[in-house]
Amino acid sequence: MHTCPRCESKEATVVAKSPVEGAWEVYMCPVCIFTWRSIEPETITNPEKYNRAFKVNPDDIPSAENVPALPARYIK
Amino acid sequence: MAYKDFRDFLSTLEKEGQLLTISDEVKPEPDIAAATKAMSKMGAETPAMLFDNIYGYTDAKVAMNVMGSWPNHALMMGLPKNTPLKDQFFEFARRYDQFPMEVKREETAPFHEVEITEDINLFEILPLFRLNQGDGGFYLDKGCVISRDVEDPENFGKQNVGIYRMQVKGKDRIGIQPVPQHDIAIHLRQAEERGENLPVVIALGNEPAITTAAATPLLYDQSEYEMAGAIQGEPYRIVKAKDSDLDIPWGAEVVLEGELLAGEREFEGPFGEFTGHYSGGRSMPVIKINRVYHRKNPIFEHLYIGMPWTETDYMVGINTSVPLYQQLKEAFPNEIVAVNAMYTHGLVAIVSTKRRYGGFAKAVGMRAMTTPHGLGYCKMVIVVDEDVDPFNLPQVMWALSTKLHPKHDTVIIPDLSVLALDPGSSPAGITHKMILDATTPLAPETRGHYSQPLDSPLDVDKWEQRLRELLK
Ligand SMILES: [Zn+2]
Repeated sequence: MHTCPRCESKEATVVAKSPVEGAWEVYMCPVCIFTWRSIEPETITNPEKYNRAFKVNPDDIPSAENVPALPARYIK
Repeated sequence: MAYKDFRDFLSTLEKEGQLLTISDEVKPEPDIAAATKAMSKMGAETPAMLFDNIYGYTDAKVAMNVMGSWPNHALMMGLPKNTPLKDQFFEFARRYDQFPMEVKREETAPFHEVEITEDINLFEILPLFRLNQGDGGFYLDKGCVISRDVEDPENFGKQNVGIYRMQVKGKDRIGIQPVPQHDIAIHLRQAEERGENLPVVIALGNEPAITTAAATPLLYDQSEYEMAGAIQGEPYRIVKAKDSDLDIPWGAEVVLEGELLAGEREFEGPFGEFTGHYSGGRSMPVIKINRVYHRKNPIFEHLYIGMPWTETDYMVGINTSVPLYQQLKEAFPNEIVAVNAMYTHGLVAIVSTKRRYGGFAKAVGMRAMTTPHGLGYCKMVIVVDEDVDPFNLPQVMWALSTKLHPKHDTVIIPDLSVLALDPGSSPAGITHKMILDATTPLAPETRGHYSQPLDSPLDVDKWEQRLRELLK
């Protein structure tokens, strides 16, 4: 498990490894669906250095607006 | 003149000196997006780029900026690469009038070479990468997405081919942005009301006529395939999907077949958009991929999008201007000369028109705002005289500087509709709109001193022709 730089959940997993062994891995966070590559700059990979304007609070995700809106039959 | 497939177009670009192959090793991030953005900054005649040595990959090929310049747009239509923009506009309008061109059906396609139906992992199949630093993930933003009307499935015209932003969100999951104005949102709504998934196909790496048609604001029941045929001047080749009744561009490099999951929305974004701003994170539909085919050693096409101008602006420039031009001509057939709606997908549009009487140009501006495309764009319509070339911005600025009287010629209409991605709209999707009438006042208008317009020395046209010959 890896820490998501964007929402800081600890649940990110490896979704791909480089075809050339050992070059990089790609991780994905199941909470905010952020994806990043291990060799990206620290402003992308490091939770402390990730741009604050783009941080995601996991508590806000369920209330994100639906685009497009759901038809009535799916509204709980 | 039709291009057989994506590779055929790339080889034409290469022959014409419009393809730059970068064989030095590049990193997926930030190099591919950075190089493409840098290329966009180098003017309106830039080549496409092919990256064939990407760190960590063994044989990935990524093509960028494929239609990111006016020469490449001209070559898309089979015209000489130095065809002037205004000529490309009128030639596009001429071919638009040839719609519909019937399609040609095939049984097999090159992309059937490799087929994957189990353990699909898009992160391994596609060389994905981040475009802009704030993007929430790796996006597909130049794929043709195909779907059918659920209530009228036999209707070929209502089958839609569109280009939507898509975030790869899992090994076989893709998030998509179908805003309510998009045709695919109508199909999704129909399917969701029935509680059914909506079959979709995503075709990546296409020859450019279908990409152009897919990016054109056609009417709901107009077929993009029949428009692609009209653009290329011969029937467009398509082949059936295996899991649905959908038709696929024959020349695609990679094809993903799947279904939009009814009732599902999942966090998506942000994504750097054509407005030069990021769209925030919202909950959007999800496509589950069930089948992947691709050519051996596929060439993966991608599009850098961000602060204009980028490839997007060349790709949707003329094909946005032409439908507006045609629809304005339906209302005012004797007056409309040309329309340039190339700025941020037509948020600003410039219309060149003759006038019948004073006040006429303002009506033209209002009509532009009530065309189907204008309802979501045309936030500012600049109207100029028939002798001003709307594609020549110095001429447009001259008209604004000399013909516009702020008191009489600025019209603001409150609270009209606009696409929600317009970062200035408030609430999102609502904005005031403005007409700037930069035409010469005409009776019964009496203001201004316009009776002595400057002429040219005699024989300028003759000399222009002669000089062109001498400079050849
Ligand atoms: Zn996260």
